[in-house]
Amino acid sequence: MPTSILGPYTRTILTGAAIIGLLLFSFTYARVSVWIEVQPFFEWMETTWFGVIGKTWGAAFAFIEAIHLIGLALLGGSVIVGEGRILGFVFTDIPARTIIDRAHKVFFWALMTLLATGVFMACGVAMKIYYLPVYWYKMLALGTGILFHFCIRKPLLQRELEKINPWVTKAVAISSLMIWFTVAATGRWIGFSG
Amino acid sequence: MNEENQNDAQIKDEQTSAILATSTIIIFFAVYWFFQIQSVRELLELAYG
Repeated sequence: MPTSILGPYTRTILTGAAIIGLLLFSFTYARVSVWIEVQPFFEWMETTWFGVIGKTWGAAFAFIEAIHLIGLALLGGSVIVGEGRILGFVFTDIPARTIIDRAHKVFFWALMTLLATGVFMACGVAMKIYYLPVYWYKMLALGTGILFHFCIRKPLLQRELEKINPWVTKAVAISSLMIWFTVAATGRWIGFSG
Repeated sequence: MNEENQNDAQIKDEQTSAILATSTIIIFFAVYWFFQIQSVRELLELAYG
């Protein structure tokens, strides 16, 4: 990231601003007002082709859900392998750079699969999930996970690992595991709710 | 030399932002699970004494 008017700590300042923004949004009335504003959008989602197919054709919904779960398994696997290597638990005989880069490729396509199938599934049950608080927790966790992965983890781990403080890489790995396990857990929680 | 300094400054910035983000996440999880466990313990106490 080029040095900008924010000075040499541009990324840190933007990260701090994003954290404050996310916390303010999560714990103030702003979240409720956005929730009310997006209701027509969720009503519209149910009227789309995806929504009609998802609601009326159970087999199609189940098939897409199966792909969604496979995507989740791939994403979970890539996170466990990548972070496990950073923490020194798995594949310690293979260079960390190799594991991190390959796990990222799997992670990226798994995330694309999850987003594509997730949109379809959300259309099928739009008004159900709209009233489920846990769906919104999942979206917050997913948003945090995507921002964390592409704005914090990836730029940092692109550098030579020897130049990075090992405690920082370990903290990044632990945080990444926490976020993606939360995304998976809240996803399952949606299945148990309503 | 100048390019190397700039590179070092970027690494420092990326590490500081990572410390900020990870500490927020870890503290948030610690506080969340503390209150979750506390709440379950209170429920169990109410149920079984």
